[in-house]
Amino acid sequence: MSAGDRRALILLIAGFTAWSFGFVLLYGLQALGCAYDWPAHRAILIAAYIVTLAPLAWLSLIKVRAEGEPASVLALSALWANRAALAAGVLTFFPATFASACI
Amino acid sequence: MTGKPSPVRLHKDLETIWKTPPGIARLSSVNHTILGKRFMLLALIFFAIGGFLSMLIRAQLATPHSAFVGPEIYNQIFTMHGTVMMFLFAIPMLEGFAIYMLPKLLGARDLAFPRVTAYGFWCYFFGGSILVIAMLAGVAPDSGWFMYTPLSSRPYTAGINADVWLLGITFVEISAVTAAIEIFVSILKLRAPGMSLARMPLMAWYMLVTAGMMIVGFPPLILGSILLELERAFDLPFFDPTRGGDSLLWQHLFWLFGHPEVYIIFLPAAGVLSTIIPVFAQRQILGYRAIIAAIVAMGFLSFGLWVHHMFTVGIPHLALAFFSAASALVAIPTAIQIFAWIGTLASGRPRWDIPMLYVFGFFFVFVIGGLTGVMLAMVPFNTQAHDSYFVVAHLHYVLVGGFVFPMLAGLYHWLPHITGRQSVYRLSIPAFWLIFIGFNVTFFLMHLTGLMGMPRRISTYPSNWGWDWLNLLSSVGGFILTMGFSLVLVDMILQFRFGRRFRRDPWRAQTLEWAMPTPPTDYNFASLPRVDMRADAIEPAPLGPVLASGEGYLGFARNNQQETLAVDMMTGVIEHIVILPRRTYLPLWTALATGGFFVSLLLGHYWLAPFFALLVTGLILLWPASLGFREDQGPVPIGRGETAPFDAESTSNAAILANRTALVTNATLFSSLLFGGLFLIVVAPNWDSAPAPLVPVWLSILAVLAAVAGGASAFFARATNRAGGAVTGGLAGAVLAQGIATAAFLAIMAGMGNPTAHASIAIAFVTLGYCALHSAIGAVIAGHALWRKHQGYVSARRATDPELAFLWNGYAGITAVFGAAMALLLGGIL
Amino acid sequence: MLFGSILLFALVMVLFALAYIRTGWISRITPTQWIVGGGLVLPIPVLVLLTGTALVLGEQLLPHGRTPVTIEAHAARWNWTFSYPGGTTQAGDVLHMPAGQPVDILVTTEDVIHAFWVPRLGGKIDAIPGHTNTIRLEADRPGIYWGQCAEYCGIGHDIMRFRVEVHSAEDFAARFGGEAR
Repeated sequence: MSAGDRRALILLIAGFTAWSFGFVLLYGLQALGCAYDWPAHRAILIAAYIVTLAPLAWLSLIKVRAEGEPASVLALSALWANRAALAAGVLTFFPATFASACI
Repeated sequence: MTGKPSPVRLHKDLETIWKTPPGIARLSSVNHTILGKRFMLLALIFFAIGGFLSMLIRAQLATPHSAFVGPEIYNQIFTMHGTVMMFLFAIPMLEGFAIYMLPKLLGARDLAFPRVTAYGFWCYFFGGSILVIAMLAGVAPDSGWFMYTPLSSRPYTAGINADVWLLGITFVEISAVTAAIEIFVSILKLRAPGMSLARMPLMAWYMLVTAGMMIVGFPPLILGSILLELERAFDLPFFDPTRGGDSLLWQHLFWLFGHPEVYIIFLPAAGVLSTIIPVFAQRQILGYRAIIAAIVAMGFLSFGLWVHHMFTVGIPHLALAFFSAASALVAIPTAIQIFAWIGTLASGRPRWDIPMLYVFGFFFVFVIGGLTGVMLAMVPFNTQAHDSYFVVAHLHYVLVGGFVFPMLAGLYHWLPHITGRQSVYRLSIPAFWLIFIGFNVTFFLMHLTGLMGMPRRISTYPSNWGWDWLNLLSSVGGFILTMGFSLVLVDMILQFRFGRRFRRDPWRAQTLEWAMPTPPTDYNFASLPRVDMRADAIEPAPLGPVLASGEGYLGFARNNQQETLAVDMMTGVIEHIVILPRRTYLPLWTALATGGFFVSLLLGHYWLAPFFALLVTGLILLWPASLGFREDQGPVPIGRGETAPFDAESTSNAAILANRTALVTNATLFSSLLFGGLFLIVVAPNWDSAPAPLVPVWLSILAVLAAVAGGASAFFARATNRAGGAVTGGLAGAVLAQGIATAAFLAIMAGMGNPTAHASIAIAFVTLGYCALHSAIGAVIAGHALWRKHQGYVSARRATDPELAFLWNGYAGITAVFGAAMALLLGGIL
Repeated sequence: MLFGSILLFALVMVLFALAYIRTGWISRITPTQWIVGGGLVLPIPVLVLLTGTALVLGEQLLPHGRTPVTIEAHAARWNWTFSYPGGTTQAGDVLHMPAGQPVDILVTTEDVIHAFWVPRLGGKIDAIPGHTNTIRLEADRPGIYWGQCAEYCGIGHDIMRFRVEVHSAEDFAARFGGEAR
């Protein structure tokens, strides 16, 4: 397995892995903020929203210039998957900006 | 190996090595074809049992004020219906299908760990039997198939009923996890040479993601079951709010498994569709790369949906919004697949046959289920429809539409592969229409019943609320549906008995499973193909005879060994020869001992359980004894003028990958435990005056240092072994260090205070217990590697055993750090 | 939502049928058009719009602040006890509510999980041991409604129903306290 191959395989799941971590982060911050009455709860949530989107945006821009058969096919699937992960991040975490956090 | 033997001669040679003899010796079979069929047959038997239970439900609900059975019995019936269908039918069915089909689809002779397949089957068989026997004895689980605490806790379910569920299902789950790891590793390693990941048939992609989801999806449920059983048996209060527990913890753990589970069931069925539709469209699947992206997206998104089963438990709106949005979004990868399938049909030259009839049924039923799913993802609608018959209708539309219809299409498509005969056809068409009409009559009306306010899980209802005629019609539909399924059964039997024999590839399919004799031989392929194109675009009819005459790889019998090839997981370049273990009763004995462990817990003989646990450990240590070499062999010929080493001499063999995967499963379980503890600290009531566990700092540091030293020592052993040096010192050091760590953890547990007093102590107790267990496992595996070295199975090239010792000891070191930190946090020291 | 669903369902089934009837144009649709059109362009706007609306609606249904009248509903296997602002507590599975004003119901449980549900008045909320959950309901006019336990709670789950008697706000205030609006 060459380095390019490995890169394509990792990229295939990288976007959604980042999305999962973002999900856990935001859900955790929401719960902690309510449990301990954080004063700047909303600001923290919005900051976390932006922080989460940064790696997703970065990943969705990476195009592997892969040579050869397995890597090139997977690289294209990876690009789709990572763009989907960015879209999923933007949409699923958007409520962090407005929805009632503790009721 | 010089001079090609005739195909018949080659067949006889391979058959003597791979054959499972008839009679009692069948019980020793480890062959994937036999076990796959067994899994599917047993799953069908459970489907019949679950179906019979559903008939009882519909008989009860046909009329208001029904006196057919009382709520005591009715509660057992609906609990068992859900449990049987989910855990004993759907999951084992897809495992059986994958076990039977994958090696044939990928051009291998068996799965990577045939004995694990057999062990999984026996666990499924014995675990399922426990549930059925309990049901016949009238003590079946009766807390609903998702077993919400505290209803399933000791004060409200005093009898053995809930224990039957927790222990029986956990026993069956062993087969799910082992099958998942085996499928995952087999797809990545045991493919035909040349079949890179990007050439795999989509079915393999679907199963790869499914197996990956099972690997991280099942541990939360297993953890939940262990915690609840600990609460029931030993009164550790994880779910008791008066002592710092929380029933919501169970719901989170259950649905963290339960929602991915739905996609775990759907994805293999979607794989079936992606395999069958191109055959009948007579063109390749459209959007191969987009579908891969969609499968990956679905696999991940499905882990972000679980709280949509909990919209009414009082979680803040923001959290609901995350899950609501993710639930809506998961419709997009589904839509991509639906339109890829329709587009494939539209741009091909589609023809009709029985499988396509069921594909039509799938589109009809599943699209409705998907649309009601989007409705239920919306919070305001959900709070109205939740736990009503609307949800019952929805879940049957997605599960029957998304699993049963595609599987029936698959049944008609692949039954000729199993029997070697073609369908008789007369009954197939009326059977389909009975199922299709019966299903829609039964369940479509339930949408209305639910919107009219009928909650699920009630055994009777008053007659003046307008639910009567809907329920009666649903019951009539249910019986039509049953007639349809009975006709399918008759149809299958007729095909076995009277079906017309065929030569090869009756559907003109383009995948490898048809490039073998049907019914398949025990060794699948007389020689393994080289795949230089997409593996869903080959021509089985000409390829079959070529392989049968031994012109592919490994087209010979060698040293009485069961051989197949392993490839680089990405590129499909040949890596090594896998020597598969031959048939043995060991899996059966090990499963029986495992069963002894569960039964002794179930019957409350807790003192017996450790003996069975030791017996299981001892038996498992016997498994590797027949594997490996005492001398380095070097590369040997594999046919077509190429050579490859044996698996024992490879550093990327299936055993190492499987242990890595098992550690991922294990780590998911451990992180679920840690998150569970944090969840209780943050959310659960009655923590203000919680008693803290007594955790001595020096003893914790000793335990952590010892466990980490064990990991380091095993690492050192691995490195020196690779360099050709002595391995004994490092391994012995690991055994010693992990022994000290185990003792230290046990000492902390013994002195930390009464774990039944409060969840804070109980969580610390279980976390450290987990660490103690893993240090002990590390010691055992390092000791085993030492013994293998002593027996001469380890060298610088044959390095698997030190590698495994390093993996498990390193893991014990890492868990010790996190476990001790958790205990110190609970103890108020961190 | 219902009409949208019927439309989408019909679209999928018609396309499936067309694939077999084979009018010329459908076989000329390219793979990209299928995937992007059907898989992305079609569902994304629908889902975004639907989820957005549902979230806004959900926000409005939340119990922001406190209503003048709050009623405690305490579930136990298998009956309901209701406590009112004036301090009255009544067992016996009858809930009294004022009409024409929002009312917060604080739901708790004695033992296992139950769920408070009056189908005609709104959604449901679970009664979770150790927690208090709030649901805001509003009945338009006086009358009699039915409520029931919606979370399976054991043998008596079938019969764990309650009657909801909605009174005019003045009558309610006179009998149970709290301020009429």
